[in-house]
Amino acid sequence: MALLEVRDLVVRFRTHDGTIYAVNGITFDVEAGETLGLVGESGCGKSVTNLAIMRLLPKPAGRIERGRVTLDGVDLIALPESEIREMRGRDVAMIFQDPMTSLNPVLTIEEQMVETIVAHRAATRADARKRAVELLGMVGIPHPETRLRSYPHQFSGGMRQRVMIAMALALEPKLLIADEPTTALDVTIQAQVLELLKDLTARLGTAVILITHDLGVVAGMAERINVMYAGFIVETAPTPDLFARPSHPYTVGLLHSIPRVDAAEGGELVPIEGVPPDQRRAPVGCPFAPRCAWRVEACWADNPPLVPLEPVSRLVATGPGATHQIACHNPPLPDEARTGRPTRPGFVAAPPPGAVIDELAVATPDVEATLVEFPTTDAREERR
Amino acid sequence: MSLAQNAGATRPGESDRPLLRIDDLRMYFPITEGLVFEHHVGDVRAVDGVSFQLRRGETLGLVGESGCGKSTTGRTIVRLYRPTGGRIEFDGTDITTLGGDQLRRMRRRMQMVFQDPYSSLNPRMNVAGIVGEPLDIHKIGTPHERRERVRELLGVVGLNPEFGVRYPHEFSGGQRQRIGVARALAVNPELIVADEPISALDVSIQAQIINLLERLQDRLGLTYLFIAHDLSVVRHISDRTAVMYLGRIVELAASRDLNQMPLHPYTVALLSAIPIPDPAVESRRRRIILRGDVPSPANPPSGCRFHTRCWLRERLGNPERCTVEDPQLRELSAGHAVACHFAEEVDGSPEQRQSTGQGGTQAAAATSWAPAGNAPSAAPAAPGA
Repeated sequence: MALLEVRDLVVRFRTHDGTIYAVNGITFDVEAGETLGLVGESGCGKSVTNLAIMRLLPKPAGRIERGRVTLDGVDLIALPESEIREMRGRDVAMIFQDPMTSLNPVLTIEEQMVETIVAHRAATRADARKRAVELLGMVGIPHPETRLRSYPHQFSGGMRQRVMIAMALALEPKLLIADEPTTALDVTIQAQVLELLKDLTARLGTAVILITHDLGVVAGMAERINVMYAGFIVETAPTPDLFARPSHPYTVGLLHSIPRVDAAEGGELVPIEGVPPDQRRAPVGCPFAPRCAWRVEACWADNPPLVPLEPVSRLVATGPGATHQIACHNPPLPDEARTGRPTRPGFVAAPPPGAVIDELAVATPDVEATLVEFPTTDAREERR
Repeated sequence: MSLAQNAGATRPGESDRPLLRIDDLRMYFPITEGLVFEHHVGDVRAVDGVSFQLRRGETLGLVGESGCGKSTTGRTIVRLYRPTGGRIEFDGTDITTLGGDQLRRMRRRMQMVFQDPYSSLNPRMNVAGIVGEPLDIHKIGTPHERRERVRELLGVVGLNPEFGVRYPHEFSGGQRQRIGVARALAVNPELIVADEPISALDVSIQAQIINLLERLQDRLGLTYLFIAHDLSVVRHISDRTAVMYLGRIVELAASRDLNQMPLHPYTVALLSAIPIPDPAVESRRRRIILRGDVPSPANPPSGCRFHTRCWLRERLGNPERCTVEDPQLRELSAGHAVACHFAEEVDGSPEQRQSTGQGGTQAAAATSWAPAGNAPSAAPAAPGA
């Protein structure tokens, strides 16, 4: 049994605009001490998944419609609110993108840290304070004794995130959920914080779910990666496998969308055309089909399940030997993954059946076509 | 790699005068105290002595972390601010103190694309109004011609020309940024200052906008000042890159040289901090973790502004020179300028080589996502340096 087991989780939001299909039946495990990367763009459901695990979905709009989440065998979805509160912080802790909004601005760091520790452990305030000093020192805050009496605004962004990490690890949780922990930080500060996070969680044996849109960050941090799109896991693999052999068109597209700082020459970027799907519509077919260069007819009607890339005798869910799985009817060949485009002769992406395509979707830039007359229009520019 | 192996990005028309010449540009924002009688107690030196030139058709990248003054530099150049000191010359004309009508006429030739496509478009104007507004301001064309021009511009940036009647909230972030680009292009400018034009966008959309900007430059011969915090993006789009730290340019070089042979300790640290989406490369890189935060630009450190965080200074036994003498930009090789007293020590150092994971072989990095069977990620990491 893995530390965290998520089975067929479905989360929807009911809004005035209709139902939002945020998470559409995802299944994954996290092993004790393991770091799992959850990669995807805004709206792909990566944050909602974790809010659901923590039972922190905004009420009454957000609802877990289906699925099971167990932590150490305990069903988190069935747990009464009072026990869930006990569980948060003690078993699962969370750090967010913006540390300023997750700290209380009118309380000192000391008050907030001591409160957390006292609330969960039968500790005296003096002991809790001692522990807080120790924790601040551990996350590399200079002069922790004096800094404990500071207010959140007196810290820089990087320091605030360190404070958040100290608070999250205060009770030595088994699982830490880090939701874009460094997105708001500058790159040199990001390096500091990631290093700290990696070092501390390895030392304490904490399992981590690292949510990020940055494939570079997970490449260095995570042992295993789930790539999410429109509320589905579209590819999952141990980190080295995923980068050695990206096999879902979306993963391939992401890798070709970012220039690499170590590339010998600034190679051409191959963007993913179009825009992310409108999640107010119940998913029909593969959610990526409208943007996919490899789509075949089946993709429009039939959403492919997550299956092993190559036949295996036994599915491995966690660890470095986890099975590489993708959800795709027509995966890119390795050569195509390298160039970012379908290259097999005669292949054309299947057109949509009827006119289901979103009319607001970006047209392919028409630069070549219209430029002939482009510079002439303002020939009558006023001269004074 | 030796210092001699170097070449500035040369383009035809090299001998022509630069489109933009910035000389010792300074932009201070006053800090005042007192409620009734304000008095001046100091300055935030956002830009403090920046000089560079921009050739016609070239892209110069301005990169640095938040608060380094890169955006202020861009905004001062298009004269959204009145500079505290220095000189801005656009196509041979001094525009440093230009005002009123003359400035407006000059601005027709330089336009800006902003970071946040949500706040830089007026939500109460329709798209045709937004894109056509510069034409109205500069009184270009007849109303009919303006309408036609707007349709054409929308097509050029990859939007349906019929969308002119819609409002910004009906569009996604990437589409809004296309509207911002169309607006900048409306008056046929020569220089476009793009201030973090893709940072607010999702990864899959960023590449669309980068490619659009590149294509437009090829077609229209535009000159870009491309401001961003992401060195990999800047390097991708720019011919030359300037790295800023606390209001100064600390290194300026052809983008290729800057990435392969960074000579300022800060550039090396910045490069090494950028995560590379490749676990094989990541595993053999060694990160330089800078200590602490960027000091306040209201009270910059004495001497070299980077000395409080510099890894090289520490290794050299904290030479006094760094704390007392302000290093000037000096050209170490053709087109490669650096503001560090000890830049020679950086060249050839293991830190320099490892900053981009090139401690191993180039080939390994280039083929990192090879087909299964020869996946180098599975192979043991290449020996570091």
